[in-house]
Amino acid sequence: MVDEPDRLLPIANVGRIMKQILPPSAKISKEAKQTMQDCATEFISFVTGEASDKCHKENRKTVNGDDICWALGALGLDNYAEAIVRYLHKYREAEREKASSRNKATCRSSPEKDEKSSEDKSGQPPQQTEAPTARLAS
Amino acid sequence: MRQARTYSGILSGGISGRTGPHLLPLARIKKIMKKSGDDVKMISGEAPIVFSKACELFIEELTQRSWMVTMRGKRRTLNKEDVTSAVIATDIFDFLLNLVSDTGNSVEAAPLEMDISKSS
Repeated sequence: MVDEPDRLLPIANVGRIMKQILPPSAKISKEAKQTMQDCATEFISFVTGEASDKCHKENRKTVNGDDICWALGALGLDNYAEAIVRYLHKYREAEREKASSRNKATCRSSPEKDEKSSEDKSGQPPQQTEAPTARLAS
Repeated sequence: MRQARTYSGILSGGISGRTGPHLLPLARIKKIMKKSGDDVKMISGEAPIVFSKACELFIEELTQRSWMVTMRGKRRTLNKEDVTSAVIATDIFDFLLNLVSDTGNSVEAAPLEMDISKSS
């Protein structure tokens, strides 16, 4: 089950999340953590697949946060979709604030790598990763 | 190194969303996403961050539901069969049925009460 540990979420992190939701006296078997590892990893694959299909149909190459929110809703995981929409909103706000305070502080004198990618629709998410050529969106 | 403010600090603003303390490693999440299909070529920087939160919510919910099974059995150790039972009993986790049944478990799918609250 854990032949390739790289393909799963790390068991320590998974175990920590489980522990923090349970009462202090609760114990968790190692196999339960391993099962949760598998399930959480499958969750990512499942939702990503749905999000990726949508991008493909819309001729877009990049899976973004909005696609994931959409996929969660499409797969019946509405509670998660709502929470993640809020989370994403806060995250993007934080990124905008960070970028604007950096601009003010440095007056654009120091070239920042990759932090100024812009995408009109969703208010400047961070740079696209996984680009085969390091692509800096302008 | 974990900072004083946890990931939830992002909700009160002022924390680095990219390199701040997430409960799950972003690089690993990205790797899993890439492997999920040939279509997945490019992933925005925010996607693993979003998944870090979504996975946390998922793990929390499945853990709570599993724990309810544990308590019904009057046990204090959450075991694999409890997780399997919780998956079987929850419709939205149907996508996991093959995964948990692959482990060779045969557990009865008793319907669970829907009261999800931290109880000791």
